[in-house]
Amino acid sequence: MRRFLLATLLLASCSKSGAPDLQISDAWARETVAGQTATAAYMTIDNRGPGDERLTGVQAAAPAKAMLHASESSGGVSRMREMGAGLALPSRTAMQLKHGSTHVMITGLAGPLREGDTMKLRLTFDKSAPRDVDVPVGARGR
Amino acid sequence: MQRIRIVLWLLVALAMAAFAFLMLRPVQETPTQPESLALSSIGGPFTLTGSDGKPFSNASIAGKPYAIFFGFTNCPDVCPLTLGRMVKLRNALQAGDRPFEILFVTVDPERDGPAEVGKYAELFDSPVTGLTGSSAQIEKVKKQFGIFSQKVPDSSGGYSVDHTSTVLLFDRKGDFSGTIAPEEADSAALAKLKQISA
Repeated sequence: MRRFLLATLLLASCSKSGAPDLQISDAWARETVAGQTATAAYMTIDNRGPGDERLTGVQAAAPAKAMLHASESSGGVSRMREMGAGLALPSRTAMQLKHGSTHVMITGLAGPLREGDTMKLRLTFDKSAPRDVDVPVGARGR
Repeated sequence: MQRIRIVLWLLVALAMAAFAFLMLRPVQETPTQPESLALSSIGGPFTLTGSDGKPFSNASIAGKPYAIFFGFTNCPDVCPLTLGRMVKLRNALQAGDRPFEILFVTVDPERDGPAEVGKYAELFDSPVTGLTGSSAQIEKVKKQFGIFSQKVPDSSGGYSVDHTSTVLLFDRKGDFSGTIAPEEADSAALAKLKQISA
């Protein structure tokens, strides 16, 4: 009985292997001013499928580069770190890429992004096919 | 038997008193000011460079309360979030309150010259003063205001900067009044801002 329980626990802690079903919504990137070469993009990635998924990378149109970053603030100090292992997208969970948390950091912008523009980002995943996302540029102080 | 019962009841009363004392004693406020600096010594006279390339000193804002935040213009998330919040809170002040100045000082003077900090400050559709300076000036001001910053390389060949995320508040006499931390509720932050704006 104890062995059975242990096996069940182990199974439960493993990733769910069904097909992920991703819905991406509320994407936006922050407007920049002339001379500013970096910005951040945010979105919600909802995995409605029975299987777990992982966002493994983000690409922006050259010359810009995109990275998955995590901001955190502790002990009064703000830090931004690249998420080398990507972002887990558990089954039936909506993950928000938002302010002060996980976000897409975009560097090397050739020119300013204006409100109303759209930038393209390609998201790559562990299991699902890459997804191209149109990201509207949102208001400045938003 | 009677004596034992009395002693037991006394013990219960003692335990209840101790519990009440623990629950009701005033909670010690954790100090929010930057560490290793005496309260009164935070801030003081400074000279930096404004977005027009001209010197900007504490005399430029004499008699005005101010909120000062240290960041960098390639900071895409925490810095605009913090400055946007300060603008929002300033807009929430009442008519009788004296609006405070918002100063943004770069901790990345190598990349952020007067033009960069000036344009960055324009992001907020409300007066925010972007300031830079020589590396020596920035280091001096960081020390004066108890600010930490450290460059961290990233995979794109560039670097990010870890930095103090706390906003420091000064009253119209230029005296340090308090801080606003990112995790603090807007209502608490607004109460502190009203204090310097009174």
